[in-house]
Amino acid sequence: MPAQEDHAAEVTGVVKSFGRQAALQGVSLRLRRGEVYGLLGPNGSGKTTLIRCLLGLVKPDAGSVRVLGRLMPDLDVLSRVGYMTQAAALYPDLTVLENLRFFAAINGADAHLTEALRFVDLEDRRDSVVATLSGGMRTRASLACAIVHRPELLLLDEPTVGVDPQLRRRLWDQFGEMAERGTTLLISSHVMDEAERCQRLGLIRFGRLLAEGTVEELKEQAGVEKLEDAFLQLSAGEP
Amino acid sequence: MKPRRVLAITRRIFAQFRHDRRTLALLFVVPLVILSLLYYLLRGGGGQPAVGVVNLDTGPLGAVVARQLESSSQVKASQLDLTTAQSRLRDDRLAGYIVLPTNFSSDVLQQGVLRPEVHLEGSQPAQSGAVLQALSQSLLAALGTLPSQPGLRPPRLDLRVTYLYGGPQLDTLDYFGGAFIGLVVFFLVFVITCVAFLRERSQGTLERLMASPLRRGEIVLGYMLGFTILALIQAAEVLLFSLYVIKVHNSGSVLLIFAFEALMALSAVNLGIFLSMFARTEFQAVQFIPLVVAPQLLLSGVIFPVSSEPTWLQAVSNVLPLTYVVDGLRDVMLKGADLSWAAIQLDAAVLGAFCLLMIVAAGATLRRRVA
Repeated sequence: MPAQEDHAAEVTGVVKSFGRQAALQGVSLRLRRGEVYGLLGPNGSGKTTLIRCLLGLVKPDAGSVRVLGRLMPDLDVLSRVGYMTQAAALYPDLTVLENLRFFAAINGADAHLTEALRFVDLEDRRDSVVATLSGGMRTRASLACAIVHRPELLLLDEPTVGVDPQLRRRLWDQFGEMAERGTTLLISSHVMDEAERCQRLGLIRFGRLLAEGTVEELKEQAGVEKLEDAFLQLSAGEP
Repeated sequence: MKPRRVLAITRRIFAQFRHDRRTLALLFVVPLVILSLLYYLLRGGGGQPAVGVVNLDTGPLGAVVARQLESSSQVKASQLDLTTAQSRLRDDRLAGYIVLPTNFSSDVLQQGVLRPEVHLEGSQPAQSGAVLQALSQSLLAALGTLPSQPGLRPPRLDLRVTYLYGGPQLDTLDYFGGAFIGLVVFFLVFVITCVAFLRERSQGTLERLMASPLRRGEIVLGYMLGFTILALIQAAEVLLFSLYVIKVHNSGSVLLIFAFEALMALSAVNLGIFLSMFARTEFQAVQFIPLVVAPQLLLSGVIFPVSSEPTWLQAVSNVLPLTYVVDGLRDVMLKGADLSWAAIQLDAAVLGAFCLLMIVAAGATLRRRVA
């Protein structure tokens, strides 16, 4: 194991509360370059807040966040980061291509429009207004907008919520493909069976990272067969 | 039709209003505010144009007419000497002054002719009308006090009217036209920007913008450019239509009018971004319209001249940006004012300052979002 690993992101002891609501209570994690990291946790466990911390959208009360070697918040490094929000956040009155072109332009990167469109299989709908697309197509268009500037780190906040099983499989295939090409992915989810496709998993609950490791390691740690049981086991005894 | 189902909808609407206090306030408070404003504007001692009376008459009749004018309910008349009256007219503190010349009484008694001179400011047709009306009523009342002499025909009126600006050819449209050019541009741009920016927020794309290298300043500037260009095209269209199709009077520089509109548009865009912060839904954004529109429509001098308002309302008018737009546009279009006029410099400076303030406020709005 290399002593000095190159991390795509380092979160160290991050604490954040909104008013009296504690969202993160000392979370530390490291994303290795080129890995698919699954952030698993129920709704309201702090997944989205953690992702927003990584983007510098939330200022931690304590702790630090480093992304691609830069201390956050840092606007410039964001051009190397892709972000897909929970709901497909697109301009509904623009076409797919116009949306892509816009998000490429604000990231100041060369647009890889055709590549992004082909990747999500929307080449034939490139001139469709987003409002006329189906939910699945919108999710794909949203993904295309998150990768159109070829980010080194891609943060996906529950990308497969409300997506049919077929598309879900396709999306995970693509995530794997991107990781192979060197992109680091952080994917949050509350669906356990998806987690099997991640290289490493972090279990988050009540704003704490309860356990971390590969699927096998987690099962072993909990002494159970199924990941879902492992999750329940590992989070037992918490408030 | 089942009453239960109908009532379910009705009850739900009340429940929604209970959760939306702001809409409730709008529903019940705003009408009272608007009506109160109207009350103060129309009954609060305001509304009457200020008139100077210069009585030079050596005979008795002039004093009678002057007293009648002073007690007239249509104007706020006060006796002045000629030079004071002239300078006050120029300073916009009088809608006009009436001179009763030295031989006013003798002309009536010997020639049967009434010869008052009326000097009107002239840019406000309604006020000019009120002055002339008050004068004719006062003359009639004054003649009634004369001892009746059988066989004497009622005297003829030989009225001489001069106008400082404009003249009798100015009509109500000329007066309102200039103000409405500013008004229309301001409100449409404000509403469109406010809703557009709110949509950016509600559809989640603002979050995406924030997660990109975009600077706050770049977002505000980009919005400003986009909507200002649209607003300027609109302003140009409104202006050309007003001047050449419905032929609103203009004695000033078209470019200067356009410059005022541009400043207004720029302020409106940033006010829109700023206020969109305080709305959660497009419904709430639409509610800003009466809040922003109603007081300015009533108090910025569009309909009722600011100088005719009660003093405490004038103080309110003086902080409304539209007051300066209306004043500036009227000065340019009706009086032919240019940039060398102190009044125009003041209007432009206040608008420029308001514009800057709104730009800063819009930027600060985005800052708070990221906290």
